[in-house]
Amino acid sequence: MRRALFSLVLVLTACSNPSGSDTALCGPAGRLRVGLVGAQEGRASSAAALVSDQDQFRLRELLTASSRCEVQLEPVLSPEQARLRLQQGEWDLAFLPPGLTALALEQDGGYGLVRQLGRRQNSRSQLLVRQTSPYRDRADLRGARLGLLPRGSLTGFYLPLFNLHGLTFSQVRYALSYAELMRQLRAGEVDVIAWDGALPLGPADVRVLHEDGHGIPLGALALRQPLLQADYKSFLAQLDQNVSQLPASLGYATGAIPDLQNLQELRAIVSNVESWSLPRAGEAYAVYGRKQAEAEGGES
Amino acid sequence: MSAIKRLFAGSGQRPLRQQLAFTLVAILSLSILLAVLLLNVLFGWQARHLIDQRAGFFMDAMLSVREYTSKKVNPIVAPLNEGAGLFRPEAVPSYSAQTVAGYLKERPEYREYSYREAALNPTNLRDKADSFETGVIEAFRRNPSLTIQSGSKSTPLGEVHYVAQPIKVTKESCLTCHSTPDRAPASQLLAYGDSSGFGWKLNEIVGTQIVTVPQKAVFAAKDQSLLATALLLVLAFIAVGLVTNAVLGQLILKPMREISRKAEEASVTPATVNFEERERHDEIGLLARSFERMKQSLAISMQMLKDRSGQGG
Repeated sequence: MRRALFSLVLVLTACSNPSGSDTALCGPAGRLRVGLVGAQEGRASSAAALVSDQDQFRLRELLTASSRCEVQLEPVLSPEQARLRLQQGEWDLAFLPPGLTALALEQDGGYGLVRQLGRRQNSRSQLLVRQTSPYRDRADLRGARLGLLPRGSLTGFYLPLFNLHGLTFSQVRYALSYAELMRQLRAGEVDVIAWDGALPLGPADVRVLHEDGHGIPLGALALRQPLLQADYKSFLAQLDQNVSQLPASLGYATGAIPDLQNLQELRAIVSNVESWSLPRAGEAYAVYGRKQAEAEGGES
Repeated sequence: MSAIKRLFAGSGQRPLRQQLAFTLVAILSLSILLAVLLLNVLFGWQARHLIDQRAGFFMDAMLSVREYTSKKVNPIVAPLNEGAGLFRPEAVPSYSAQTVAGYLKERPEYREYSYREAALNPTNLRDKADSFETGVIEAFRRNPSLTIQSGSKSTPLGEVHYVAQPIKVTKESCLTCHSTPDRAPASQLLAYGDSSGFGWKLNEIVGTQIVTVPQKAVFAAKDQSLLATALLLVLAFIAVGLVTNAVLGQLILKPMREISRKAEEASVTPATVNFEERERHDEIGLLARSFERMKQSLAISMQMLKDRSGQGG
């Protein structure tokens, strides 16, 4: 019954929209390939936490009605997988967290940001160690075991590596969520982990070793270049009008265009780190690469 | 029935040409109507057969891609996934089939085709079954002897024809990635997490392969063919009507009008009239011979009257 009502509302909204266009907003194969990573990094540790089944179906229906295309919705937990999809141009539309947003802008023939996602949470990239560990400074971390979120995360990958430039680690491990990284730190499986300062630390058995000074921008809804050339305004208008049908966790901001200025410096850092040879899971790693001058200027 | 009665009630009240024309129009119209109705059924059956054939071919092609991946690609690529490096989905038959279907869709002629492998609990959330697909999978699970489901499916973008087959876990090797997270390759866990795509059991139906093919275009083509055939039938029947009319005029109406004219003339001056049509061997000849006899009788009668009036005078 609710699904029928929802469909009816969508149809009525589409019919009552005087500026609505009949043009379909489709990708190259006549379908809209949508990536859903969410607005935040490292929060979801399971598929259900990323998007519930019901939210997924409703989102797919809304996108189908708004784009008038067959929609292929792909919720992705791993930023690494999402990064590959973006790099290979496999998504026409993507709900992205900040790190991947910066990365999307760097792609050849890339993406444009059309809506802001997420809510202000004073996120900061931090490095955490156990309270009892001997590490007092970043330089002490030589030879330590490092825990990161997968490549593609701003607070969990790019900024930590940028801030650890020049150090060598005995092992780098990855986890899909900060909760799992914290578990590994507490279990002694790693010595230092990347962390988002907006998250509560819990018991006082860990401490912040270093905090990056960059403010973390919000996520964004990104649209691939060929679709930006098309008439996408009516599609966005449909999303704006039916914002209550979008998963609340996305934090979709009606009518809000992302501020590219806030992303400029972080884009440079992401681009810089991406140019380095990057750590492989379970292996030792020397954080080394040429730091660009503009990126160095922003280092805290 | 009453229309037919009305048509023939005026029998003898109108010229023969009109009567015949009305009769021909009625017969030909009924014939065209009947032919179009029968052709509609036949063309509809052919269209559905064509849709089924296309869906079947598409499904078979995707199954072949799956088999190729399973036999030839997986043994080479799967070992690369055992470490904690980047997960290579190319080792997964479902990924290959759906990727190939994606490439196929890039060609305009296949744009409205689709292939999906939907599961109740997939590793990649892209393959999560929607409510329709869940219904299809549940039907396969309730009735394991059911091997195929097909029919029409209404989507926000129109009606499509679907054919679905069950995905059954038949190989123990499938359970490496789908039984418990501790058996799965580390690269898979890093790519998709440890919460989805697990708990599958041997011989369990876990999902469905669904191909959808457009039926709008096929049925539109069928309607076009039907219309063209109906038009051709109308044209053919008009031609038949015109030829019949011409033949009728030449064989019956024209000689009858001629005999009628001569008969009228014969009623005044029988001696000057000659019914040449009596040489014919058909009904017109018979009629002409009858008139010829009547003319001669009339001439004799007139001669007798003349002779009697001469004797009297």
